Amino acid sequence: MPNPVEILGRARNRIAQVAAIRAGAYAIAPALVALGLALALSPIGRATWMRWGYMLAPERAAILRDALYAIAAGAVAAGAILALRAYRNALDFVAAAEQVDIAMRARQEILTFAALADPELDEDAKTARSPLFALLWRRAIGLLEHFDSAKAFPLSLGRPLARSSMLAGVVAVAMILAAMGLVRPPTREQAIAARLREIAREIEATSTDPTDRAIAAEASAAADALENPKIPPQQKIKKLDDAMHDLQQEKKGAGGANKGVGAGGGNQAAKGQGKGSGQGGGNQGKGNGSGGSDKSNQAGSGAGKNQQGNNGSGGKNGKQSKDPATDLQNQLADAKAQIESDAKNSPKPDTNKISDDNQPGNAPRTGGNPDKKGAATKPDSTRPGNVPKGDAAGKQNVPPTGSSQASAKDMGSNLGDTHLGETPPAANYQRYLKPGEKGAALDIHDARYVMFRLPNGAIVGAGGKNVIDSSHPTATTAYVNAPLKESTDQAAPDERQLVPPRYRDLIH
Amino acid sequence: MGAAPQASPDQRVAEFRKTFSRAEQEVGRVIVGHQDVIRKLLTALFSGGHILIEGVPGLGKTLMCKAAADTLGLSFKRIQFTPDLMPSDIIGTQVLTESDGRREFQFKPGPIFAHVVLGDEINRATPKTQSAVLEAMEEHQVTVFGLTYRLEPPYMVLATQNPIELEGTYPLPEAQMDRFLFKVVMGSPKPDELREILSRTTGTRAHQIEAIFKPATAAQEIETLKSLVREVMVAEPLERYIIAMIGACTPGGPGAIPEVSQYLRFGPSPRGAQAIILSAKVNALLAGRVSVSYEDIDDAVVPCLRHRLLRNFQAEAENVTTESILEQVQKRLKRPRA
Repeated sequence: MPNPVEILGRARNRIAQVAAIRAGAYAIAPALVALGLALALSPIGRATWMRWGYMLAPERAAILRDALYAIAAGAVAAGAILALRAYRNALDFVAAAEQVDIAMRARQEILTFAALADPELDEDAKTARSPLFALLWRRAIGLLEHFDSAKAFPLSLGRPLARSSMLAGVVAVAMILAAMGLVRPPTREQAIAARLREIAREIEATSTDPTDRAIAAEASAAADALENPKIPPQQKIKKLDDAMHDLQQEKKGAGGANKGVGAGGGNQAAKGQGKGSGQGGGNQGKGNGSGGSDKSNQAGSGAGKNQQGNNGSGGKNGKQSKDPATDLQNQLADAKAQIESDAKNSPKPDTNKISDDNQPGNAPRTGGNPDKKGAATKPDSTRPGNVPKGDAAGKQNVPPTGSSQASAKDMGSNLGDTHLGETPPAANYQRYLKPGEKGAALDIHDARYVMFRLPNGAIVGAGGKNVIDSSHPTATTAYVNAPLKESTDQAAPDERQLVPPRYRDLIH
Repeated sequence: MGAAPQASPDQRVAEFRKTFSRAEQEVGRVIVGHQDVIRKLLTALFSGGHILIEGVPGLGKTLMCKAAADTLGLSFKRIQFTPDLMPSDIIGTQVLTESDGRREFQFKPGPIFAHVVLGDEINRATPKTQSAVLEAMEEHQVTVFGLTYRLEPPYMVLATQNPIELEGTYPLPEAQMDRFLFKVVMGSPKPDELREILSRTTGTRAHQIEAIFKPATAAQEIETLKSLVREVMVAEPLERYIIAMIGACTPGGPGAIPEVSQYLRFGPSPRGAQAIILSAKVNALLAGRVSVSYEDIDDAVVPCLRHRLLRNFQAEAENVTTESILEQVQKRLKRPRA
C-alpha cells in the first residue's frame, strides 16, 4: 500500500527541483549573451565599428569586456541564488501538498492531510489529530495511489526562457549603448597599431615558423609601443626599426621577391626610396614607394612600399599586396613616417623657458658693471599712455537696449532719484479695488515704488463692438470696447516709478 | 437508528449524511421550495447555532421551524414577540405555590425551555425583552432571581423578523445579531412552488411528518452528530483564508478592501469566523468529506457574515447591501493557484 506521506515527499522534491531550474533559467540567457559578447567583442568590432571607421581603444575594450564578464558572472550568481531560494521555499511540505491538491482537484483533502501528517509536526500535534484522520488517510491513499509527480509537475521552461531572453536583450542593448559611447574615430597611430596587430595575428594564424612568430610578436610589441603615449618617439622609432630589421632579415633569408628599404642620414632632408617587383597574373609589375622625409637632425630613414602590379599596369594602380610580411613592412614604414612627422611638428621643449608654472623662475642676475644703470622704473612721459579703445569690450557696461523682452519693458531707471541702489525684487503686491469691490484696505506704508501694469491686449474672441468716438474732434480711429486680458500679480510690471523719499513718510 | 460512539468514521459520516438528507426531505414535504433555507436551518442546528430568518409574512417561516423540530423529535416552543412582552414571559418566573400546607416560590419555566424555540417577529419586542434571550442563546442557561437553570441540549433559537414593517419595531442590537449563526432571507415562492403550496394547503390532503428520532433519544442522537461536525478537519491555510476574509471585511483591518472602508462602520467579530468554520464543516460532511474545502467556506460566508457587518450612512443612502460588499471581498481574496 502506498504511503501518502512518501508520495507527497517525492512530489515536494520534484516541485523544488522544477522551481529551482525555472528560477535558475532566468539567468541563463543573460549570462550566455554577456559571455558571448565578451568573447566575440573583437570580431564584433571588426564587423561593425571598425568597418565604419571607428575604433575601440584597447583599454576601453578591456573595460567593456570585463564589464560583460562581470555581468555574466553576476547573472550566474543571481541565477544560483534564485534557484537556491526557490528550492528552499518549495521544500515546504504543506505548500507542496497544496500544489498536489490543486493539480489533482482534491478539494483540499490532500492539503488537510499534509497539514496534519507533516513529518515535522511535534508529537502533541500528532496526538491531537481528529478521530476522522484515519478516514482522511485512506482517502489520501486513494487520491495519491496513481499520482505521478513528474507528469503532474512537468519541467516547462518556456516562460522563464522567454523572460530570460528579455533580460538578455537588455544586456545586449546595454552593451551596444556602451560600445557606442566608448568607440572613437582612431588617430593615425591607433589605426596603424591596429593594422599591425591584425597583421601579426594573421602571421601567427598562418605560420608555424618560429621566426614568423617572432616577427608577429615584434609587430605586436611595436603596435603597443606605438599606442603608448608614455614612450618617447625615439624609442618608438627604434622599436619599429627593430621590427623592420627583423622582417628584412627574414625576407632575405626566405629569398622573398618583394623588398625595398630606403634610408637617409645626415642633417639634410632624407628620403628613402624603395622599389619592389612582383608577379601579378603573369605580368610583371613594378611599384615605387617613398619613405618619410625628415628634416630634423635625426637620422631619417624611409621604407619603400612594395606594391604588386595589377596586370602590369604599373605601381600607381597596383593593389596592396596580400602578403602579410609585405603588408607588415608597409605598415611599419607608415608608422615610422607618422612618428617622425609628429615629432617634427610637435613643439620642442625650450630649456630656457619655464614651462611649468609650479617651477621657480630664474632670479635676475647680478649686473657685472656696477656703474651701469638698471632698467627704468619711472614712466616715460614721452610715450603715450594707454587709451581705452572703443572696441566691443568698451560696450560691456552699456545697458542692453532691447536685448530681452523684460529689459525692453523696463522704462524706469535702475537708480532712480533715491540713489539707494538697485530696485529690490518686487514683492507684497496689492491691488486696488475695483469700483464696488470690497476688501482689505491698501497698506502701502513704506512703499518703495509703485508699479503700473496695463493689460496687454483684448481677450481673443471676447466680443465687443467698434465705437467711433465722434465727440472727440481728433479721434479718427475706431476702438473696441472688448474686455481686456487679466494680468496676474506675478507678471512683470509694465511701468514702475520710485516713490521719492520725501513722500514716503506721508503714505500710510 | 443513530450513530453509535464506537462506529467507524465512515459509518458516522454516512449516518450524518443520511440523517441530514432525511430531515431535509421531511421538512421539504411540508415546506414547498426554500431548499437553501431548510439546509441552512438544519446546518445551524447541527452546528449548535441559532438562525435568524427574514421574510415577509405568509412564507411559512413558523411552519418550517416547527417541521424541523418535529422531524428531529425535538421539543418545540413558540414565542410571539410583541411590544408588551416581558422578559419573565419568556424565561419564566417564581410562582408562589402551596403544598403540604407550606407556601413556597417555585420556578415556572417559560417557553424558552425547549430544544427548538421560535421567536416570531423578534424585532417587535422591546430591547429589554430581546436581551432576555441573550444569555439563553450564548450560555444555554437562564438566571432567575439569582438561580441559574440549564437549558437542555440541543438548544436552538429560530427568530423571524419582518422586513417591511418598521413602525413599532425595535431593530435587534448588534450584540444580539452577532449571536445568530446565520441570517437567512426567504424570498417569495416561484409560480410552480406557489401552485404546489395552494394544492397542499387548500385540499383535504395533509402531509404528516415522520420523526427521524424518537423524542426520548433525539437529543442524544443529535448531540452525537453535532460532535461529528466538530471533528471535521480544517487545514491551516484554510484557517488563514478565513482570517484574511474577516480582516478584509473589517474597516481599517488588514487587507480591508476600499468598499469596506467606504461603506462599513464595523466588521464581523470572531464569532463570524467561528460561524464560517462550523457551517463549512457541515458543508464538508454533506459532501462526504471529513476536511473543509475553499468551496465549503465560500458557501458559508454570506449567510454567516451578512448580519455582522454594520453599514454606515453612506451605504444606506446609496443602498449598498452587505451581500454586495461580501461578494466583492470574496472576489478580491486570493486563493492559491497551481
